[in-house]
Amino acid sequence: MKIQISFDSDWSKEFLHKTTEDGPWANWDLYKLAIEAETHLAIPEFDGLQAPKHLPQLKPLPHQLEVARQVVETMHGKAILADEVGLGKTIEAGLILKEYMIRGLVKKVLILVPASLVSQWAFELNTKFHIPAVIQRKSYVWDSCDCIVSSIDTAKRDPHRDIILQQEYDLIIIDEAHKLKNNKTKNYEFVQRLKKRFCLLLTATPIQNKVEEIFHLVSLLKPGHLGNEALFSEKYKGKGRLVLEDEDLKLLVNTVMIRNRRADTGIEWTKRHVETTVIDFSPTEQALYDAIVAFKPGESGKSSSFSGLTLQREACSSREAVYYTLKNMKEKAENPSPAYLESIDQLIEKVNAVSHNSKAEKTLELIQKINDKVIIFTEYRATQLYLQWYLKQHGISSVPFRGGFKRGKKDWMRELFQNKAQVLIATEAGGEGINLQFCHHLINFDLPWNPMRLEQRIGRIHRLGQEEDVRIYNLATRNTIEDHILKLLYEKINLFEKVIGELDEILTKLEIGNIEEYLIDVVGESKTEGEMKIKMDNLSSLIQFAQQVKDGETHAATGNS
Amino acid sequence: MQQQEIHKFLLNYFEANHCEIIENHPTHLVIGLSIEMDKELMNRPFYWHYLEKTGGVPNPMTLTLITDSLNAPEDLKGEHIHFGSPRLHQIFQSTKKLAGFIRLYEDAAITSQQPLYPWLCLNVKISYQCDRKKDICLSIGLNLISGEIKEAFHDRIVRLKVTPKIPDLFFNLSPLIMPASGLTRLDGYIRKTFEGDDHSWAEEAIVRWNNDLNLLDRFYEGQEDNENYQTEKAALRAQYEPKIDISVINGGLFYLTEKAV
Repeated sequence: MKIQISFDSDWSKEFLHKTTEDGPWANWDLYKLAIEAETHLAIPEFDGLQAPKHLPQLKPLPHQLEVARQVVETMHGKAILADEVGLGKTIEAGLILKEYMIRGLVKKVLILVPASLVSQWAFELNTKFHIPAVIQRKSYVWDSCDCIVSSIDTAKRDPHRDIILQQEYDLIIIDEAHKLKNNKTKNYEFVQRLKKRFCLLLTATPIQNKVEEIFHLVSLLKPGHLGNEALFSEKYKGKGRLVLEDEDLKLLVNTVMIRNRRADTGIEWTKRHVETTVIDFSPTEQALYDAIVAFKPGESGKSSSFSGLTLQREACSSREAVYYTLKNMKEKAENPSPAYLESIDQLIEKVNAVSHNSKAEKTLELIQKINDKVIIFTEYRATQLYLQWYLKQHGISSVPFRGGFKRGKKDWMRELFQNKAQVLIATEAGGEGINLQFCHHLINFDLPWNPMRLEQRIGRIHRLGQEEDVRIYNLATRNTIEDHILKLLYEKINLFEKVIGELDEILTKLEIGNIEEYLIDVVGESKTEGEMKIKMDNLSSLIQFAQQVKDGETHAATGNS
Repeated sequence: MQQQEIHKFLLNYFEANHCEIIENHPTHLVIGLSIEMDKELMNRPFYWHYLEKTGGVPNPMTLTLITDSLNAPEDLKGEHIHFGSPRLHQIFQSTKKLAGFIRLYEDAAITSQQPLYPWLCLNVKISYQCDRKKDICLSIGLNLISGEIKEAFHDRIVRLKVTPKIPDLFFNLSPLIMPASGLTRLDGYIRKTFEGDDHSWAEEAIVRWNNDLNLLDRFYEGQEDNENYQTEKAALRAQYEPKIDISVINGGLFYLTEKAV
C-alpha cells in the first residue's frame, strides 16, 4: 500500500541558507526546551482522549467523556449527538472539538447555532475550553478567523452564503439540528452544500414526527448511510416513530447517533413540584368564551375547527389574544359575507366588555407569594404584552423574551432578568435555547398542546446546574378546553412529574404522527363532550401503556448499547 | 506535563531569553520581560510602534504566572498556567520558533590539539494521519564524514558540554557530505524507519473510506453530475486519506569529538 509522505522542506531551505550565511543560531537552552515542549505535545496514541489533560478546570461527566471518545474513535468524527435535554451536549461537542484541535486534525471550524445561543457558545468555548471562538459580526471574519460561531439564518444569507460555501471546513457543528429535518428547506440545502471533513449535529429530539426526519438528518452527515430516499421511504414509509423498533434500522442509526438518557447517566437531579390552580372566569369572560364556542367561522372543515379552537384557547389566555386574532380574521378574509363580519364584530364587543383578567390576577398573587425569580410562559404575544403591562401596574418589573429577538437583545434580556427583574415573560418561540438555571419557578399561563413543547419549557430551568427543586405552577380555567387538555391529557400521564426526557421516549413508542394535530382532531371533530372524553381517555391510556412497555424494557429504542 | 515541570520550563524559557526573574516562588513566577520578549509575547504592536515613533522610554511589562493555583497566595493577581492554557501554548510555539536552527561545538577538557567531527542533526515529528492521528518523535544524527547515522541523537548530546564558539585547541574537520545531501540522506533514513511498521491504521482508514464512498455512490446513483456529490467525495478524501507527515522540530550542526556519541 502506498501512503502519501510529505517532508518539511521549509526547514531545509532555511537551514541551508543559515549554513551559507553562518547563522544566526539558536541558544542551546531554548533548543532543548523546544524538544521538551514537542515531546509533551506529541500525540502518543490513536486511541483515547488528550483533551481532559488540557482542561483541568473542566469536570466532564463520565457519559460526556464516553461520547467524546466514541465519536473520535468509532464514529470517525461524524455523529448526531442526541442526548436528552440538559445532559450537556455542548460540553460533549466542546470536548470533541478540543480533541481534534489538539490532535491537529481540525483548524477551520464553523459552529451554527440558534441566534439566542451564539454568544453563549462563544463564551463557553473560550472560557471552558480555551478555544478562541469568534462571534460572526462582519462578513470578513469568514476568511480571517479559524473558529466562528454564527446563527444559521445569518450564514445562509448573502453576502455570507457564497463566502462560506467557498471555505473548506475541518469541522462543522450544528446545534438544534432537528430544524434540518426537512430536506426541502433553504437551511437544509445550505448545510448540505457546506464542505466539511467532520460534522456534529446536536439535537435532543432527532425524530419529532416522521421517520423521514431521521433519514434527512443522517443523510446530511453521511449520505447513503440509510440508502437513498426512494428506497428508504419504500421500506419505512408511514411507520412513524415506531420504525426505530426495526432492528436493522436501529443498528444503522446507532452507528451515527449517540443518545444518552437521563436514567443512564446516574446523575442526581433535583425534583419537580407541580401545583395546578383552577381559575373561574368572571361573568364577562365567561360570556366571551361561550360566544366563541358558539361561533362557527366560515365553512366546515379542518381549518374552521382549527381557528375556532385557537380562539377558545386564546380566550383562556387573555382578551387581548382573542382580539388580535379576530382583527386578523377580519382583515384577511376574502370577500367576507356581511354575516361573517357581523359575527366577528359581536365577538369584539364581548372582548371589550371584559374588564379584567382572572388569570392575570391569580398570577400576580402567585408571584407575590413566590417572592423570587419567576418565568411565565404564554403561547401568545398579545398575552405577553398584556402581562408585562399588568405586572408593571402592580410594581413588578418584568422582561419579555421572544424567539424573534436579535441575538444581542436576547443576551441582554437574559442578563436583565438575572440581575434586575423579578419576572421573565417568554413566548413559545423564545423557549428554545436559553438556559435559565438561576431561576426555579415556572408559571404556565397557558398550556401548549404538544407535550414536547411543554418539556422544552421546563427544560429551560430543569437542567444540569439547577440546584433547587423546580416548582411548576399551571393555570387552567374551569370548564374550558384548557381544563380538558390539562385533566385528560397532562394529569393522566403525570407529565409534569416526569423526569426530563422520559416523555420523549414514551412518545417514541406511540405511532401518533403529530400529537398536536391529533388533539385538534379529537377536540375539534368530536360531536359531543362525551365523545371527546372517550377519545382523550384512549389517548392517555395509550400513553400509559407505552410507559408500561418502556418500564419493562432495559434498553430503549435508540438507546446506547 | 506536571505543574512542577511547567514551572521549570517557564523558568528556563525566560532565563534563556534574558528576562529578569523578579520572583521565583514554588507557586508562582514574576518575570520582568525584556523588550524583545514583550514584543514576542504580549501582542501590543501599537504600543511599540508608537514608542519607536515618539522615542519614549520603553516600559516592558511584568508577567505573573501562577503554576500552583491551590497554594498560591490568595490575593496574588496573575495568569494561572496549566498544560492547556493558551499562554503556555504560546510559549511552546515561541520556543520552537526561536530555537529552530543550531550550531554547537563540544567543549571537552583536552591538553593537545584535537579534531571535531561534523554531525548533522534532525529532531522530527512523524505524524500518522487519517481521520485519526498519532505522532512519533525521532532524533537522528548523520556523521558528515563517515556517513554513519545514529538514533536518539539528542539524548546522546544532551549530556555533553557544548559551546557556540569553537574552543581552543580544537579544529573542525571539513564535511565530506554537504549539508544539502546530508538532509536527503536523513530524509531517506527516516522514511525507512517506518517502512516496516504496522500500518494497519492506514489500511483500516482506506476500508472506511471505500465503505463511505460506496454509500455515497448509492445515494447519488444516477445523478453523478450533482455538485454535492463531488463535494462529498472530496470531503471523504479529506476525512480518511492516510498520510504521513514529517515535520522538523529543530536541528543543526554539532561538531563533536571522535568518541562523543
